[in-house]
Amino acid sequence: MRKYFSRERLGYMFGILSNPIDSFYEIRYRDKGSVPLAVICVFVLSALFTINRVFAGFVINEVNPRTVDGITEMGSFFMLLGLFCIGNWAVTCLMEGEGRMRDIVTVAGYAMLPVALALAPATILSNVISIEEAAFYNIILGVSIAWTAILMLLGVMTVHNYTLLKTLITLVLTFTTMLILIFIGLLIMDLLNQIYGFFYSIYTELIFRF
Amino acid sequence: MRKISIILLIVIVITMVPFDAIAADTVPYDTYIYDHWEYIVFTPAPYVPGETISGIALEIGAFSDPQGIFVDHDDVVYIADTGNNRIVILEPDLHTIRDVITTFNNDGKTDSFNRPRGLAVTTDGIIYVADTENRRVVALDGKDVVRTIENPQSEMLGDDFDFVPLKVTVDYAGRVFVIARYMFQGIMTFDTSGEFIGFYGTIDVTISLWQRFWRALSTQEQRARQQLFIPTEFTGLDVDPMGFVYASNIDAAGEQAVRRLNPKGEDVLRKGVNENVGGDLLTWPQSPSAFSGPSNIIDVTYRGNGMYSLLDSRRGRVFTYDYEGNLLYIFGGMGQQAGTFRQPTAIAAQKDRVLALDAIRNELITFEQTLYGELINKAVSLRYDGDEAKAVETWREVLVLNENFELANAGIGKAYLTAGENWTAMQYLQMGMDRQHYSIAFRRWRNDILKENIGWILTVIVGGIFGYVIIRTVVRKRKGYEAADEGGAFDA
Repeated sequence: MRKYFSRERLGYMFGILSNPIDSFYEIRYRDKGSVPLAVICVFVLSALFTINRVFAGFVINEVNPRTVDGITEMGSFFMLLGLFCIGNWAVTCLMEGEGRMRDIVTVAGYAMLPVALALAPATILSNVISIEEAAFYNIILGVSIAWTAILMLLGVMTVHNYTLLKTLITLVLTFTTMLILIFIGLLIMDLLNQIYGFFYSIYTELIFRF
Repeated sequence: MRKISIILLIVIVITMVPFDAIAADTVPYDTYIYDHWEYIVFTPAPYVPGETISGIALEIGAFSDPQGIFVDHDDVVYIADTGNNRIVILEPDLHTIRDVITTFNNDGKTDSFNRPRGLAVTTDGIIYVADTENRRVVALDGKDVVRTIENPQSEMLGDDFDFVPLKVTVDYAGRVFVIARYMFQGIMTFDTSGEFIGFYGTIDVTISLWQRFWRALSTQEQRARQQLFIPTEFTGLDVDPMGFVYASNIDAAGEQAVRRLNPKGEDVLRKGVNENVGGDLLTWPQSPSAFSGPSNIIDVTYRGNGMYSLLDSRRGRVFTYDYEGNLLYIFGGMGQQAGTFRQPTAIAAQKDRVLALDAIRNELITFEQTLYGELINKAVSLRYDGDEAKAVETWREVLVLNENFELANAGIGKAYLTAGENWTAMQYLQMGMDRQHYSIAFRRWRNDILKENIGWILTVIVGGIFGYVIIRTVVRKRKGYEAADEGGAFDA
């Protein structure tokens, strides 16, 4: 337990906010990262995301509360980031990336930190603003999302020891891989469904006969 | 224990007794509106089926394919009995015949109609009839023709133009508006002397980028076989006392099925909170039946005080909107029972009633206003006249019958906002899903609270800063002493 949640590791997690390149370097080459912490980051983000959708102020909240489903949203966050990690790992393995799966997961999770940190104050703020002041709310969210994107980029760049150009190329390839993964996943689901249907029809046939 | 079981028993019995919603289950159709989230919300019936009046009951022989109806300012009802080539004029009570026009005097000769489909009556009693198959518009004063419009000549029309008028209406200045068959450029307008002035209220064709893309890729032959990009035709006409023309059209996108045209022919319709005046929002697109698809709006009638009703021939529903384009209520449906349609063709409003014609039943169907419908009409009228205070009282009565009515909640909220009761206004405006006004009420409420409490808020902030500075200084000093005691990390 201590190994994953030590004060030092927490320090490096928040350290990426101010010194992203150095902190990601430490995470990769001195094992200062922590996968459980990264997972907690994503967990907190998805929970706050759902909370924001329900409890953001009426003035700026355009979300139909009856369409909010926390479990589905959490599932989508984890699935998306999981796909990203697998895709990135698969691509960087072939492109001389130095990062291990563990590092990629850590980077993906830690990079969510700005949004996760901004969502709570933004949600509170949204309850005390009027429509004219909605710009503040949007700026907070916009800046945090941009920050997350930059962290993601820097993180991937650092743990794989890439140049910027190579990182961008890898990211494009990663997204392609994610699409392929989704495609294959759907294909397998469909095939399994058909196999299930086949056996089920055999079963009903037998039931009717005997 | 015994008491509890008795109470439980009572609760169980009460929940088992079926109770009636306000008479809504006695009408043969659904009455509902769409809320802010575009969900269907069922409402009490605003209008209930009244009478079904056939030509046989009036002892003039059954109607045949009646296509047009008009109610004049004296509530006299004019029906274009298309299949029988006649105009039937009913007294306001709908049961006595005032007149049946089959023949009329055209410049000394006896003349008759050939499938007249639309008609309109001016305030001085001139009847304008779209005499469809005779390809003319006839203006009758009693039984004498005062004016005919036929074979209009203009450079805009071309030489082989075939003038087939379907619907007609007249504004207070005597301008005649005609919807003609296969006339996609717009409504044809004629001046008092019967001269063609020009087209009016043309609907622009919208081509999406995607359609443009495919069109650019396709060959000449493919293009020839593709669907043509032509504007939709208008289907029904009405004119309000101020001279604005309401024209319904069939919108395949289901977004705007009516236009309110100013004298220049520009659309000045307001589209309301849902940005939609196209009938049903939920159009059941997956179902292959004739029941699915966007509403097929075939007629419009001005109801007074900025309200207007649209008639949907696909699902037999009547949609009523206020002057801001907010949906007020929906009633009507297809069926075989009294008060339902088989093929609705035209709609008009008379006193508190809504009248509609059915071309298969060959009957005039009336809908009588209920308390719920009356209250909504009254509230909207009061608001249209600017009497917000009285409107609020009426909206409250509406809320008693249907507490989910967003327009009523928003209306009450706005009145509270004007009265300066910001907190109450916020509650109602939130239920009415009115973000703009809620925001105003909220800002005022928030600023009031800030103003009242600014004293101690500032005290706390200033005190906090002072306290922090003092504590920090003390702590630093102590640390400094400790460091010094331990051997002096630094020289103070």
